[in-house]
Amino acid sequence: MQTNHHKERLYKILVIGDLGVGKTSIIKRYVHHNFSPNYRATIGVDFALKVLNWDQETVRLQLWDIAGQERFGNMTRVYYREAMGAFIVFDVTRPASFEAVTKWKEDLDSKLTLTNGKHVATVLLANKCDQGRDVLTNNGIKMEQFCQENGFVGWYETSAKENINIDEAANCLVKHIIASEKDMLQSEVSDTITPQLEKDKGGTCSSCFRSQ
Amino acid sequence: LVIDASQKFCNNCCRAGGSLQNKPLTITAVIATCLKNYVRNCTLILYLAISFSQDSVLHHPHQLCCSCSKPSCCIMCLFFICPLDAAGECAALHRQQSLPHRPPVIPLVARMADQNTSGTPAMTEREASRLDKFKHLLAGPNTDLEELRKLSWSGIPRQVRPITWKLLSGYLPANAERRESVLQRKRQEYFGFIQQYYDSRNDEHHQDTYRQIHIDIPRTNPLIPLFQQASVQEIFERILFIWAIRHPASGYVQGINDLVTPFFVVYVFEYIEEEVENFDVSSLQEEALRNIEADSFWCMSKLLDGIQDNYTFAQPGIQRKVKALEELVSRIDESVHRHMQQYEVEYLQFAFRWMNNLLMRELPLRCTIRLWDTYQAEPEGFSHFHLYVCAAFLVRWRKEILEERDFQGLMILLQNLPTMHWGNEEVSVLLAEAYRLKFAFADAPNHYKR
Repeated sequence: MQTNHHKERLYKILVIGDLGVGKTSIIKRYVHHNFSPNYRATIGVDFALKVLNWDQETVRLQLWDIAGQERFGNMTRVYYREAMGAFIVFDVTRPASFEAVTKWKEDLDSKLTLTNGKHVATVLLANKCDQGRDVLTNNGIKMEQFCQENGFVGWYETSAKENINIDEAANCLVKHIIASEKDMLQSEVSDTITPQLEKDKGGTCSSCFRSQ
Repeated sequence: LVIDASQKFCNNCCRAGGSLQNKPLTITAVIATCLKNYVRNCTLILYLAISFSQDSVLHHPHQLCCSCSKPSCCIMCLFFICPLDAAGECAALHRQQSLPHRPPVIPLVARMADQNTSGTPAMTEREASRLDKFKHLLAGPNTDLEELRKLSWSGIPRQVRPITWKLLSGYLPANAERRESVLQRKRQEYFGFIQQYYDSRNDEHHQDTYRQIHIDIPRTNPLIPLFQQASVQEIFERILFIWAIRHPASGYVQGINDLVTPFFVVYVFEYIEEEVENFDVSSLQEEALRNIEADSFWCMSKLLDGIQDNYTFAQPGIQRKVKALEELVSRIDESVHRHMQQYEVEYLQFAFRWMNNLLMRELPLRCTIRLWDTYQAEPEGFSHFHLYVCAAFLVRWRKEILEERDFQGLMILLQNLPTMHWGNEEVSVLLAEAYRLKFAFADAPNHYKR
């Protein structure tokens, strides 16, 4: 699914978190630049595509909007496959949705690792920040610490309704995905010996030392 | 049913005409013969077999159904609209001279009009006669449920839909005398549950369930004003909460909320004449609203009883049906199936929702109600026939599917199929095609496996 064409990159990004935290709204805002209070609950998975210009390259993001109730099923494994990054979303007005963040992160990390053995880049979104800031997000330092301890590459207070920080959060995630992709390529290179014939040297056979 | 065996049928299956010649042949025999070797072209055999049948329903086989005067609302007539037509593949069929004439073109207005739910004043003679048949059947002391199913298969008139749904779902007994007492008892029983359990919604062990329901209710049918009324939302919350805690093996699963809607709307019809979408429920008597609530609860429960493994842990029923859908489609339309494989689209990615919400997210509500007329008339309609409807639905879009040339395009198409303008006609065509598929595969479970 993932292609590394010359000037075009395609990344699968998951958007997960408890039900009703605003995952669908964030994606609609990001992709279609609008907001509606009328989205129905996502069933299974919804798919969306965002095309970005990134350093003179085209980056396509496949956004996988996964139903909030899915954590209790066992379908997430199917949906997570081949993802390169993730947003985990909670609702700042509902503490229970924040408590679920670590469960989502565990679910993600236990089912998905990159080829270099690392976890996928994940950004934490504290959504609905227009509806008043809960104690949870008042203390920036605590959130920084939470992100470090739980392996998030960053966090943003977002509002799909007011269009706050959605693009910023996405750019942060894309940046980390590209970095982790480079890292994967490098780790592949260092593990691999590439046999080559050097013409001008006129190599010798390693077992008999006779020249070829 | 007897057809003229000297007629040449289908190049694929009946070309070995020796055994067929000079013998009258029943339709069932022809179908059995051909479908043993089912390929898509064999649609032709059904098409011809039925067009030459002497069935009394079809006095004018090339034109209109004699019982409903429409080309598409009776299952038999539907075969005149080649199911492959939509897919753009039947040009070859139409060129063949032995084929019956094409059905008359359905005017656009008729496509939009939903005679069953809107109760348009201009009721045709045929519709009136259908309604009379229903009324006659329902009037007796004991309703013949088998007859009622047959009659309901091709759609139930709005006026008799509430009672018919209650009978077909098994909520009401066939014996008319007993109905009132059953209704009273069941309604009492439901409100007994409310008294007994509803206060526990904020208890620790139930609060997660209640919270999920509470979040989902305002966003169930968000665009229909009826469902934005507080008293309607409270009814939905009660129905879903009581059902969830009485079924701990599944509990509340997202999507079940949608399934209450058709029952609620149809049972509101029992008390009003006007359009339901903007109806203000506070104008109803309190008792009427209570009856609607209890009846919706019980009928939804009956429906869910039949598809419970769709909603138990890991949703095995859905997994199984999505798998079956994939097998079926690979057999009936290989190019669509291959196309999806080529671009790595997995059926689970789009058809999970088709199964979980019984296509309610893919179709307008009026179409779901019409679809459910047939599901309740069809044995195992919700649990089994739905699979064939999904297969017919997917193949219905084959042209659009084959035009998409990447994973993204396919997924966006499959998750946003343009059905907004669909009405009874489209649903009827879909059901006819589903029926044909069921006929072909139902008795041969291994048939569609290669």
